Amino acid sequence: MSAQKWQATGELLGEFQALGRASLAYDVQDSHSGNMAVRRTTERGEDEIVITATGSQKGALEPNQICFLSATETDYGYYKASSETDIHARILELPGVRASMHAHVKDLVLATLDDEPKPARPPDFVPVDPLAFHHLGSAIPVDWFAVPSGSPELARVIPERLAGHPLTIIFGHGAMAKGRNLREAFFRLCVGNNAGTVVRAMERLRIDVGAVRRAVTADPGSSFAGAPPPYEIEGDDRSDFREEEEILKEFVKAGHRIFESRLSPFHTGSMSVRGVDSMLYAPKASMPRDVGGPLLRVALSAGPADDSETALHKAIYATSDFQTVMHCHIPEAEASAHFVYPGEAAPADRIIPVDAEGTFLYLVIPVLPPNVRTDELVRFLHDYKVAVVRGGGVWAVGGQSLSEVLHHPSSVREICLYRIGAVERGLDLRRLEPQKAKRW
Amino acid sequence: MPEFPISGYHGRVLVADLSRGEVRTLPLDPGLALDYLGGRGMATRVLYDTIDPACDPLGPDNAFVIAASPLIGSNAPTAGRGHMVFKSPLTGVLGTSNSGGTWGAAFKAAGFDVLVVKGAAATPVMIDISPGKAEILPADHVWGKTTHETNDVLAAVSEPGNPARVLCIGPAGENLVRFAAVANDRNRVYGRCGPGAVWGSKKLKAVRVRGKEKIAVADMEKYRSGLDQALYLMKQAPVTKRLLRDLGTAGLVELINLIAMLPHKNFQDCLHRDEDVERISGETLAKTLLEKAGSCYLCPIGCQRHTRVAGRDGREERGEGPEYETMVLMGPLCGIYDLGAITRANYRANELGLDTMSYGGTVACAMELAERGLIGREEAGGLDLAFGSGEALESLAVMTARREGLGAALAEGSYRLAAGRGHPEYAMTVKKLEIPAYDPRASYTQALGYMTSPSGACHLRGGYAVSLAFFGGAREIPRFSLLQSPIAIRNMQNVGILQDSLGVCRFTGYAFSSDPWARMVGGITGRDFSVARLEEIENRVATLERQFNIEAGVTAEDDVLPARFADVPIVVEGKERRVSREDQERMKQDYYRVRGWDAAGRPTPGLVRSLQIEESKR
Ligand code: SF4
Repeated sequence: MSAQKWQATGELLGEFQALGRASLAYDVQDSHSGNMAVRRTTERGEDEIVITATGSQKGALEPNQICFLSATETDYGYYKASSETDIHARILELPGVRASMHAHVKDLVLATLDDEPKPARPPDFVPVDPLAFHHLGSAIPVDWFAVPSGSPELARVIPERLAGHPLTIIFGHGAMAKGRNLREAFFRLCVGNNAGTVVRAMERLRIDVGAVRRAVTADPGSSFAGAPPPYEIEGDDRSDFREEEEILKEFVKAGHRIFESRLSPFHTGSMSVRGVDSMLYAPKASMPRDVGGPLLRVALSAGPADDSETALHKAIYATSDFQTVMHCHIPEAEASAHFVYPGEAAPADRIIPVDAEGTFLYLVIPVLPPNVRTDELVRFLHDYKVAVVRGGGVWAVGGQSLSEVLHHPSSVREICLYRIGAVERGLDLRRLEPQKAKRW
Repeated sequence: MPEFPISGYHGRVLVADLSRGEVRTLPLDPGLALDYLGGRGMATRVLYDTIDPACDPLGPDNAFVIAASPLIGSNAPTAGRGHMVFKSPLTGVLGTSNSGGTWGAAFKAAGFDVLVVKGAAATPVMIDISPGKAEILPADHVWGKTTHETNDVLAAVSEPGNPARVLCIGPAGENLVRFAAVANDRNRVYGRCGPGAVWGSKKLKAVRVRGKEKIAVADMEKYRSGLDQALYLMKQAPVTKRLLRDLGTAGLVELINLIAMLPHKNFQDCLHRDEDVERISGETLAKTLLEKAGSCYLCPIGCQRHTRVAGRDGREERGEGPEYETMVLMGPLCGIYDLGAITRANYRANELGLDTMSYGGTVACAMELAERGLIGREEAGGLDLAFGSGEALESLAVMTARREGLGAALAEGSYRLAAGRGHPEYAMTVKKLEIPAYDPRASYTQALGYMTSPSGACHLRGGYAVSLAFFGGAREIPRFSLLQSPIAIRNMQNVGILQDSLGVCRFTGYAFSSDPWARMVGGITGRDFSVARLEEIENRVATLERQFNIEAGVTAEDDVLPARFADVPIVVEGKERRVSREDQERMKQDYYRVRGWDAAGRPTPGLVRSLQIEESKR
């Protein structure tokens, strides 16, 4: 028996440990659940699977809890490895797949639960938020299994599903995601869970989710602000402004906060600090501790290669004096942007805080339509510093610092949580909202 | 005069021509209100239309302008400040100075928005203003008196419910000390840039105001929403909630020392013994000399220090201060940590009408010149001019205000003092204005603020970077970022322009920025004063101020720090810090570009057009 079968070191260990901790921080696991696997080629040219040990605490993985097994034959490493190893092994056989991850994405699981008699195939999950819609597809499969963990059925069905989808849902259990690397798999799980959070928040706000789904399915172009940039697996270690030590620290702090406070799922959102000719830019703003993301120096002038996200940062700066911009996909804000007051037909054009802190910080938070023009968005940002774009996330600006701009999405989430909680308790939002906010 | 179409303004401009001895009331141009708001913005525009920026600042062609804002007369927090602009006799560029107290609010209550004083009288005069009436009166009976005496004599006409408020100069202004101040409420001063000398050159001793005119509020609900938010945030922020009331601005002394920014011995270093700093801290002041805190008009912060101290003759004296800047510039900058000596000198400076900041900077410069053998003991009239000589402070204040002995040289300010001895490099000034009590080597943003301030080294006009470098809360910015400094300082300067144009205190900025003000001013006027519109006004005012300075002769070469800050490092958190010439140049050029100015620091014609800055009407 060779200790090499379960003794990870170096970068590989660091990656498993960091993503394990991140999954706990993002609350998509319980202490011992979930598993992660990657496929790699050894120095001898053999295919190898690296996978977390069964029963290991993902938030505190030890070196000996990362197992190395042959991709082609059973060996000792296999017996210590996750009980889902067979499933991972088959997923990792899919073309282009180098990583797979399983997590108990509770909000997504809850959003797909039903009480229909089983066995039966539950309906696909239709996301109503732009991230999941674009990154995971317009319909995510959900499968019910008699034995929903480690069973041969799972090992057969899940890889089949993942052959055609980035992520698949195991009814009442969790989800499996594939990726070109572990980060991409984790990104998809977080985006999936976020989609569940959006739907659950809508349900708590008594929004007709079915109607929103029909609208999204019928015309995604006018339901979303635009496709977010594709997930890049390269360049996370790139840092173009190491010499700007203080600003670098601010980016890292803000990135952690966005992730840990669930202001935007893993490696989504963006933030920037503007210089005179260039901006310092984090295109994957939501960054857990120990997992970075690219920190770029980008020319301020618009370029043909700019993705939609980068282009909007630049456009905001081009027509304002702001020094910082942040974009987050806050699930509670996305849901709140669809809120319709009883007796009204269309979603409200503002979110009115009902809590004391929120009321004093913002009289109203504007909700803008998905197709809002950039100049209109900038005008609202001038007056309100933060705006929710329905189907497009939360945009915020600051006059001075990243910390300042971070405060806006953070407050918006709190404000939305209070409103959602109030509706859940059967309270009348209209009676809670300050009178003056309604006329603005 | 027809009713003014915008709420919050009276629609009246009072113009006093002292050469002709006449006072006229003119209608306020509504466009001026919409484009320049009030206070600093409006006053600067009126000055630009009134004088040639190249004029002799001590000649009759110079003028000064004071403007109120639409917020003054409301109950917005701190909205009672006045702003005065003029061509500075100290710097030769735009003089722009702000004061708390009650005079600004009283001027508005007298029924006017703007006061323009031009020309020069042959004999001492004062201007007396009340609703519907303004006249020029002789002032021989108060000429030669201190600011306190003048205030007390002229305010004696007060009636219950209708107090008279007096703005006046002391002997320093009469004697054309280039950094003479103008005082109201005895100890609240328009200190920086030497407005007192401008008044003195016009033989204007005082402006007295009385009145009870009110302003209308167009949209009370909107106004109140901004007001509620402002008051709430001021109660939340530790600096506005407690620090300033408990410890005064001197509460910053120990904190600024902790961040290695407290200057020492004419900016030779930032090294102090902790026990020395403690002797002049806000805590020590509160425990020893403080009688009570006080407030300017409508201010819930209350940073004023009403103090008492034993005089040199042993008799107790009462007065105000020292504030942070005075404490440090008359204190550690001169190597002095004697709270009593600083306080006594502060009292004298207030009575005589001297800007305590420029005075402290000038004494520190004199002490360095003495240390280097460039001022002899004889020239100093036997006074000990060594760093640390607390006794010299008070005596030199009197000599300076009266231009006696060495005081005549000190009255010219540190730049002329040092340059007159062949060593301008020992003057710690930008554009000849003495640098405030925050060492620029400890914050690039503050450094750039001093370099680009329209009035020379001023932390209030140049951008109060320290408020964001350490106490900024969520808005805290990096101290040593070349990339972030140009925009950060532009934005801070712009907030300052807004505050000065609204007649509100800089310290509200510790709690909030533009948003609540936008709602308050929008509510009062009933006009669109969104944050975006306010930003446009801020940029317009900044560019107009630059335009004035360009016409006054300023070039990019004037936007630099003294060589010491590039050549001699200080140690901040274990690292040597200086602001090299290359870094200064890079930040300056970047700053020009974010302002839309060319590489020589001149506003481009395109920018002037886009900001709709009209040519001077003079
Ligand atoms: S904070 Fe101090 S200086 Fe400002 S208005 Fe209040 S009392 Fe006056």
